[in-house]
Amino acid sequence: MKPAPFSYERPRDLNAALAMLAANGSAKIIAGGQSLGPMLNLRLVQPELVVDISGLAALKRAESSRDELVLGALVTHADIEDGRTPDVTRGAMRGVAANIAYRAVRNRGTIGGSLSHADPAADWVSALAALGARLTLRSLAGARTLAVEAFVVGALESALHAGEIVEAIHVPARAVSAHWGYAKSCRKTGEFAHAIGAVLVDPAAATARVVIGAIDTAPIVVTDAAELFGGRVGADYKQRFDARIADLLIAKAGINDAVRRHIHVSVLKRAVHEAAA
Amino acid sequence: MNTITLSVNHRAVEVLAEPRTSLADFVRDKLDLTGTHLGCEHGVCGACTVLLDGVPARSCITYAAACQGADITTIEGLDEDEVTAELRAAFTREHALQCGYCTPGMLVSARDLVLRLPDADERRIRVGLSGNLCRCTGYVGIVRAVQSVIETRRARNIAPQAGGGRTILGPAGSGRATSGGNEQPLRPARQELAPASESSAPDVIPDFTPATVLDQRFTLPHAPAKVFAMFDDIKSIAACLPGVSLTAPPKPERVEGAIRVRLGPIAAAFEGAARVERDPATLSGRIVGIGTDRRSRSATQGEICYRLVPIDGGAATAVELSIGYTLTGMLAQVGRPGLVRDLAGRLVADFAGNLDRHMSGAPLREVAPAELGGLPIIFDVLRARLARVFGRFFAKRGGAG
Repeated sequence: MKPAPFSYERPRDLNAALAMLAANGSAKIIAGGQSLGPMLNLRLVQPELVVDISGLAALKRAESSRDELVLGALVTHADIEDGRTPDVTRGAMRGVAANIAYRAVRNRGTIGGSLSHADPAADWVSALAALGARLTLRSLAGARTLAVEAFVVGALESALHAGEIVEAIHVPARAVSAHWGYAKSCRKTGEFAHAIGAVLVDPAAATARVVIGAIDTAPIVVTDAAELFGGRVGADYKQRFDARIADLLIAKAGINDAVRRHIHVSVLKRAVHEAAA
Repeated sequence: MNTITLSVNHRAVEVLAEPRTSLADFVRDKLDLTGTHLGCEHGVCGACTVLLDGVPARSCITYAAACQGADITTIEGLDEDEVTAELRAAFTREHALQCGYCTPGMLVSARDLVLRLPDADERRIRVGLSGNLCRCTGYVGIVRAVQSVIETRRARNIAPQAGGGRTILGPAGSGRATSGGNEQPLRPARQELAPASESSAPDVIPDFTPATVLDQRFTLPHAPAKVFAMFDDIKSIAACLPGVSLTAPPKPERVEGAIRVRLGPIAAAFEGAARVERDPATLSGRIVGIGTDRRSRSATQGEICYRLVPIDGGAATAVELSIGYTLTGMLAQVGRPGLVRDLAGRLVADFAGNLDRHMSGAPLREVAPAELGGLPIIFDVLRARLARVFGRFFAKRGGAG
């Protein structure tokens, strides 16, 4: 339960961090360490070098404009929960953050670290996909942006290239007319979810984004979710929610166990009801 | 070993430690502050919770080196703290502890709730304490004690402390290292690890009852008899299995080999042996294997049963796999079987694709980095176990980053 020996560097800026990452293929970035720490302690991961980016001020920014919020990768779940960052989602992100793991974990765990870890059961993976967020990824070669739903490609597998890190998260402003619902099922409070449902429904614009998450691989992201509401998204979307379509989507994603599908559908239904409440 | 400078219980501390030293081990072993307890050592149980720059943090998954310049408060530093004094009295009154192992962490978390949540009811207190496990009390007394302190303070009109008093962004404890950038990188005292392996292949491969079974199925556009013959060609089969290598010349009934599996940042290499059984009459077979991963000190037993079913009038074959496994050791501690399914699915897809290419005479695609050695079906087994293996470790909590 003690990590294998590793070297440790605290780069003075982002470029220095990227250079260390590029120079050592087995280097691991650590921020809050709430995902990597357990894996190091269990010796499931044994990097030669751990590059601690937690001191980089450039990754601790939080700026909002009219259209979007830009969060540096080092913003913690507690920063969002407590409202130390601006909010363009009218409380949606605060609610998600407040229910991630435990307070002692939220005080160090970061939004960028959680995404980089790409655990299918992690909250931000599903919530940010539903909110339509995008990521800035940076390497020595430059920066690129990617939608969150394109970033997570499988269990613990992200689209990050070697030598690349998550630099910032761009969250679009939630429309005044858009409803938000988020639900998850955990066997124990604070532990990994077995099912996550996240919905962003805008009856005025007749649009809906729906995410079915914690399915052990990349979440199901339905960007145009009219089919889940009988073909159109209107004010009566709660009544029109079609559990059979949800079940089909989940089955198509490879979940053969009817009980698990039932849990996912029920959790999604809860999210829809929360949005409509 | 390098010098780590920080403040513990308002005392400046400068101590040598390895980079891998957790904050918990640092205060316990270097400073003799043994009030900080270690339970799970992977962030689940909460016994090690301390205040880091004033807010609760897990000292078992926070490395001391990452806390350069930070303020640490352990339970020993809370003797004079007003809220903790009230909590101690309430814990005594409500019988909120028995063995006391969880109590230091419990008090740190409870103090945070009292400061932040002046309106917390029983439910919120229970949720707030859910990251601190107690095996003695059943929590009733603990919840009552915390609730009584919150209510008393509310009655005294004591204002809450928003965010626990934190005003800056980023991980608690971070960003306090003295600037300058000329710091020496911390190097571990790297001992040479024991040589990789003597032969780890067991002589006897026992039968077992798998703890987990998962079914996989894929189809190949080749006749069952051809596929069955192919399954007997252990070297070729091995070559189709991503990450598999043979460690000894295969015999028809026994294979020794290794399989490397990667799941995100986790890499495991299981070395072992498998016994191969085949029944030409039913076009089915069974591979029973046993293997160990030295790095994670994990062991697995695995079994792959396959059955070839003719489809499309016998022109093609459905390969039905039933993969059973039991995992022990480090990798088994973290129970996330679901992730294995995803990994196993990807591996089987690669395997099926390579089999098809091989049987059609096409070159294999480089699926796995590194070695596509020669390995048999065992691989299946092996790889499946690995898969499972992987799938299970991640024990973390709720997607914390």
